[in-house]
Amino acid sequence: MRIKNKGYHICFAIIVVLLILAPLLLSAGVITSSSFILFLGKCIAFSIVAIGLDLIWGYTGILSLGHGLYFALGGYAMAMFLKLQTTNGRIVSFMQTGGMTELPAVWRPFLHMGPAMVLVILGPAVLSGVIGFFIFRNRIKGVYFSIISQALTWAAYSLFTGLQSYTGGNVGITEITSLLGSIKGDANRGKMFLLFYISVAILVLIYILSSFLTQTKFGKLLIAIRDGENRTYFSGYCVSRYKNFVYVLSAVFAAIAGAIFVNFNGSITPAQMTISYSITMVIWVAVGGRGTLVGAVLGAFLINLCDYNFSSGTMVEIWQYILGAIFVVTILFFKGGLVGIVRDQLPVWMKKVTRKEAE
Amino acid sequence: MEQFVNTFFNCVSLSSIILLTSLGLAITFGLMKVINMAHGEFLMIGAYMTYVVQNIFERFFPTAIFSLYYFFALIAAFVVTFFLGAVLERTIISRLYGREIDSLLATWGISLILQQAARSIFGMQGVNVRAPSFLNGGITIGGCTFSYNRMFILGLVIVCLIAVWYIMYRSTFGKQMRAVMQNRAMAQCMGINSKKVDMITFSFGSGLAGLAGCSVALLGSIDSTIGQSYIVNSFISVVLGGVGKLTGTVLGSSIIGFGSIGFENYTSASIAKAAVLLIVIIVLQFRPQGLFSVKSRKLDE
Repeated sequence: MRIKNKGYHICFAIIVVLLILAPLLLSAGVITSSSFILFLGKCIAFSIVAIGLDLIWGYTGILSLGHGLYFALGGYAMAMFLKLQTTNGRIVSFMQTGGMTELPAVWRPFLHMGPAMVLVILGPAVLSGVIGFFIFRNRIKGVYFSIISQALTWAAYSLFTGLQSYTGGNVGITEITSLLGSIKGDANRGKMFLLFYISVAILVLIYILSSFLTQTKFGKLLIAIRDGENRTYFSGYCVSRYKNFVYVLSAVFAAIAGAIFVNFNGSITPAQMTISYSITMVIWVAVGGRGTLVGAVLGAFLINLCDYNFSSGTMVEIWQYILGAIFVVTILFFKGGLVGIVRDQLPVWMKKVTRKEAE
Repeated sequence: MEQFVNTFFNCVSLSSIILLTSLGLAITFGLMKVINMAHGEFLMIGAYMTYVVQNIFERFFPTAIFSLYYFFALIAAFVVTFFLGAVLERTIISRLYGREIDSLLATWGISLILQQAARSIFGMQGVNVRAPSFLNGGITIGGCTFSYNRMFILGLVIVCLIAVWYIMYRSTFGKQMRAVMQNRAMAQCMGINSKKVDMITFSFGSGLAGLAGCSVALLGSIDSTIGQSYIVNSFISVVLGGVGKLTGTVLGSSIIGFGSIGFENYTSASIAKAAVLLIVIIVLQFRPQGLFSVKSRKLDE
C-alpha cells in the first residue's frame, strides 16, 4: 500500500516539475506561443476541480453532476471583483443596458479585495453546505443525488442567463484582467509567470491536503461509505455528516479552481455552469483513474491537452467521436482509468508475456 | 375566463410534451434503473427522422399526399430509435447492470458521439420541419385559440400513455417485464428470457423517445442540442412522480408543466424554469422517493 502511494506521489511530482519547467521552456523558445501557458494555467484549475471530484466520487462514491455550478460560482465571484477593478467601481455596461443606475447590492462586496476573496470560497461553501445538509440528511443517494445535482445546476444556469442585468446573461462577464493586472503580451510575461507559479503552488497545496485527508481515518471512512454505506451507519458513524463535509470540501476546491480559471481565461460565461461541463469534469476523473488523486490530475491534463490540440482544424469532428469513444471504453473496460491500467492491467499483461516467452 | 382557459391549455400542452419525453425514461430509468443520458439524443434522432422523412416526401411523392408524411415519420422515428436502443442495450448497457452510475457516464459518451454525428450530417444550423397542412392553424372557441398541433401532441400523448399502460399492466410481455425488474433470479427460474426482456424494454423506452422527438419537431427548429433541453425536466419529473410508477410520471410532468407556465406569468421563462426546479428539489427533500412511492421496509430502495 505504502509503495503504491509513493508511486502516485512521484507521478504527481513529475507533473509539477513539468509545469514548473513550462514557463522556462517558453523563455528558452521551445514553446512558441504564450497562450499555451495560459492554457496550462486553466488546466491547473481543472485538475483542482478534478481532485475535489475525486474526493467525492472516487473516494466517497457520490456522483455529483453539478460541480460546474461551484466552479462557475467561484469564477463569477472572482470575475465580479476583477471587473469592478477595471471599471474603477462604476457600474458595468450590461447593468446599464438592464436599466440600472447604480451598483446592485449583490455586487457591492466585490468592490474590495478582502471581502471578494472571502466570498469566492464562502459563497459556494455555504450553498453546498445547505444543499448537502438537506440532501444527505434525507438519505438521498446514488443516482437520485446525481439527478438532483444535475437539476440544481440546470436551475442555476437558467437563473444566471435569466438575470441578465446582474450577471451579464449568456455573454457572462468578459474583458477582465487577472489579479496581477494584464497578463497578455510580452511586456507582461513576468506577471503571467508569477500567476502561473502561484496556481501551481495552490495545486500542490490542495494535493497535499487531499492526500493527507485520504491517509487519515477520515479518508478510510470515506472509502467505507463508498463500499458499504449502511454498514458504516450501523458502525455508529453519522454518514450524512461525513458526506456533507466532503461535499463542501469539493465544492470549495471547485470554487478555488473557478477563481484561478477566470484569471487565465479572462472571462466567465454560464457555459461553465452547464451540465455537460460538469459531466466532462467527472469524465476527467474517470479517464485518469478514480480513487487515486494523481489519476484525477492526470486525467484533467490529458483530456484537456488533447482537446487543446484537436479542437481546432481538421480534427475537430473526429475528436468529438474519439472523446465519446474514450469515455465509453474507459467506463466499460478500464474502471480504474489510466492509473488502473498501469497498476492492475499492465502487470497481469506483462506476466502473461513473460510466461509465454518462458514456454 | 378566456385568459384562464388559454393559460390552462398552455399548461396542459406543456405538461403533455414533458410527459411524452418522460414516458420513455419512466421505463428505462423507472423500471430498469438505467440512467440513459443519451435519451435526449434519441429524442433528437426522432426529430431529425421527421425532417428526413419530410424531405423524402417532398422530393419523391406528389404534393397531394405530402401531409401524410408525418404519420410515416412517426413510424420511422419509432422504428429507428427502437433499433438503436436495442443496439445500445446489447453493446453497452447490458454490461453495466448494477452499476447505475457507470451506465450514466457511458451513455453520456454515447450522447457526445450522437450529437457530433448529428452535427456532421445535418450541420450546425438548426433545421425546420414543415408541419403537415392539417396541423396548421387552430380552432377558436369564444376567444380561446387551441392550435391544432398542440392538440395533436396531446392526443399523441394520450395514445402513447394508454399503449404503455396496456403493455406494462395488461400484456404478457408487461408481466414478464415487471417480473424481471422485481426479481430477476426468480423470473429466470420461471423460464423468462431476461436478456430478451431487458433488450425489448430498453428499446421500447428508446422508441418512445423517438416518438417524442417527432412531436417536438413540430414545435421549433431542430439542432444537435435539442435533446439536452428536454432531458433535465424529464428526469426530474420521473423522480418527482416516484420511480417506476406510471401515474407518478403523469403527475410529475403535470406539476412541472403547470408550475413553469404559472411562474412564467409573473417572471421570465428562464427564471420560471429555475423556480420550478428548485421547488421540486425542495419537495423531494420531504418525499425522497417521489410522490407515489412503493412503501417498503427495504433499507436501500
